[in-house]
Amino acid sequence: MKEPILQLKHICKQFGSVIALQDVSMDVYPGEIRGLIGENGSGKSTISSIAAGMQKANSGEMNFKGQPWKPVSMIDALDHGVGMIVQESGTIAGISVAENIFLGELDAFRGKAGIINRGEMNRQADRAMQAIGVSHVKGAMPLASLDFQTRKLVEIAKVNMKHPDILVIDETSTALSHDGREIMYDLMRKYAEEGHAVIFISHDLDEIMEVCDTLTVLRDGILIRTFSKEEFDEDEIRTSMIGRELQGDYYRSDTCASRQEEEALIGEHLCLGEELKDVSITLHKGEIVGVGGLSSCGMHTLGKVLFGAVRPETGSVHTPDGREIRNEETAIAEGIGYVSKDRDIESLCLSASIRDNIAIAGMDKYALGGFLITSGQEKKYVNRQVKELSIKCASAQQLTSQLSGGNKQKVVFGKWIGCGSEILLLDCPTRGVDIGVKQAMYQLMIGLKKEGKSILLISEEMSELIGMSDRIMVMKDGKVTKELERSTELTDAVMIRYMI
Amino acid sequence: MEAGSEKTKQLLITLLPVLALAVLFILFCTFVKAKGYRLDIYLKTIFNQGVVLAVVATGAIFIYTLGSFDISLGAATLFAATVGVLTYNATENFPLMILAIFGTAVACSLFSSILASAFHIPAFVTTVAMLSVLSAVSAQIITTKGGALGGIGIPKTLVKPLDNPPFKITLLAIFFLVCFFVFQLTKIGRRQKFIGGNPVCARLTGIPYNKYAIIAFTMAGIGVGLGAFLTLVYTPSVTTTTASGIGMNIFVAIVFGGMPISGGARSRIHAALIGGFSYILLNNILELALEGSSAYGITQIVSAVFFLAVVCVTSMNYRTDLLPR
Repeated sequence: MKEPILQLKHICKQFGSVIALQDVSMDVYPGEIRGLIGENGSGKSTISSIAAGMQKANSGEMNFKGQPWKPVSMIDALDHGVGMIVQESGTIAGISVAENIFLGELDAFRGKAGIINRGEMNRQADRAMQAIGVSHVKGAMPLASLDFQTRKLVEIAKVNMKHPDILVIDETSTALSHDGREIMYDLMRKYAEEGHAVIFISHDLDEIMEVCDTLTVLRDGILIRTFSKEEFDEDEIRTSMIGRELQGDYYRSDTCASRQEEEALIGEHLCLGEELKDVSITLHKGEIVGVGGLSSCGMHTLGKVLFGAVRPETGSVHTPDGREIRNEETAIAEGIGYVSKDRDIESLCLSASIRDNIAIAGMDKYALGGFLITSGQEKKYVNRQVKELSIKCASAQQLTSQLSGGNKQKVVFGKWIGCGSEILLLDCPTRGVDIGVKQAMYQLMIGLKKEGKSILLISEEMSELIGMSDRIMVMKDGKVTKELERSTELTDAVMIRYMI
Repeated sequence: MEAGSEKTKQLLITLLPVLALAVLFILFCTFVKAKGYRLDIYLKTIFNQGVVLAVVATGAIFIYTLGSFDISLGAATLFAATVGVLTYNATENFPLMILAIFGTAVACSLFSSILASAFHIPAFVTTVAMLSVLSAVSAQIITTKGGALGGIGIPKTLVKPLDNPPFKITLLAIFFLVCFFVFQLTKIGRRQKFIGGNPVCARLTGIPYNKYAIIAFTMAGIGVGLGAFLTLVYTPSVTTTTASGIGMNIFVAIVFGGMPISGGARSRIHAALIGGFSYILLNNILELALEGSSAYGITQIVSAVFFLAVVCVTSMNYRTDLLPR
């Protein structure tokens, strides 16, 4: 019997009045890929971040390689053998790839005259990227020029360079395309083969069952059960996660496309560099249009262009009666709401409360005379969204930064639904969201469709697109390669044919 | 239990600026008494200095809320007062002088924001340029028309009837209430806080930065105009050093008042009022305590240390533990 490489004993953690972990004990063994799964706010990120030195437990103890483990910071933990790739952005945009990779270690490249040898640093960064199988990203590149998924790869390269004994990957796969995920899986397998351990957090049950050897389920800060590979059972794991059997439909139950005749939003001949090449799209009332493809296919840019946040070089976005969407202001005036893939940066003000975030888009709805804000009206407006979307929070005054990923996303939905958006442009709306919240969001989208609202669903999850869309536009290299109507015949394989 | 102590901590941090103001006031009175000076005269000085700083800072809160700052506010105060004096001396028309002061102050402020908007540069960059330009132009006018030391002025009798606390308190109260209303109870203040919290998200929520920056600079301009007018009421002459430190003092004062330096959702309009008077009290206490040739330098160093301590304590209010996603 192997000795555990990491032992967590009776770990408890509280954030103010919120109990994040209650007496959690867990052993991780060398050569093991341990999955951590649970609903948003279940404590899986908290437990792994404590092990990786991001924060301290209120009580309990840890042992790493048989010794007491008390990392003072993430850098300290990484230096001693526990590295973590965080869920949200863990890089700094204003500096180069190499500077990100060697952040805090620039002195290693300082010559006798005190000048940093950038050439050598860039070369080593190139090698670090190549080590994870990414050769198109160079150390000298400014990080700001890379998309979200490539930045994640930079983070992976940075942690991998230290070759930690325990690699913690927190909900990273949703930020990665198919290729990016393969890179990550290969790395995980390599670590396990070399006798290191991997702690892998994901909401994707299929993925976690595929790549993990053991699976620990957390719920409301309590360790519910650890499954060995042979015990893996989808229904049983789901029930452990949410504490009940998942009732009702997950995706849409109807199998035919349906939409109203009336058009809601039209994008014509949209071109923008390599990202959009003559893309035209018409969104009807009561319709969910899916847009799928590889992460770099241009679909995320399409969402921004339709919202007026990015101007196309040629082509236009307009309403059926010809009013042009020139910018975000005109888009919102036309009843369009946009949920960004990069939730923490583009969709929420984390330093503000839930109330501030939900209220900000809907002030015109409750402000007296169009400008006077009364606390009572605002509270009523916000509390309705909190209640209808079942946002788990201490109160509407709680900071959004203190919420779990799924609840943050609900706040974003509340912001746009509350103000009565008729058209919702949703870019990866279920990214980093647990199965229970996902189901709630799908049901919400179905409800909105029934109300005659139009939804553009941009997603990297094919099952989501197939399950929810009336029609799917498949994109590749900035072009729409195929438009597929909702049908029972539609499968991942059909979509992949037009994506790659 | 934990929740209770967290709430108490938050309440204490929120009340800290008020408590600090009270402590500074008691300290100040103690020092003046201990030195054998007349407290009523010293309190009058504190009031006159504090009211100008508080008024200008109240307007400036709108800029700071956006996560920006304006270093040229002192120079703009000087310039507006200078233009006011020139206008009165040329026309002998008091209402026109007031109009000239406010017009100049708002124009200076707006010019900074429009320049920033036109050239797509951060507003504070243009305010640095404005600081130099306005100081130089004012100095040129003052030295040409009246000499660097004596400066230029208006007849004392003209503003004497206004140089009393009730008038100044009324002006400060009206301006504060207007700002409070705009900041707390209208869409303008809410949106400005949101921009300060996350400008990217604000843009994607349909909040145009330029529009709200122009409103913020306009409010700051009104504050500068009021500050320039109150300066003239107190000392009816303008020299090259009039209001010279206000730009930097506002920055410190606002932080003393409990406002985060980064602006955003936790911005508070009353920070200007509390911080303005706290800063003036602190400066005067230090001057009383450190009388002598090296007093100025030591005062500045002690102020800086105090400033850092306040930033550290007030930032505890928003630098809280985060639940990992």
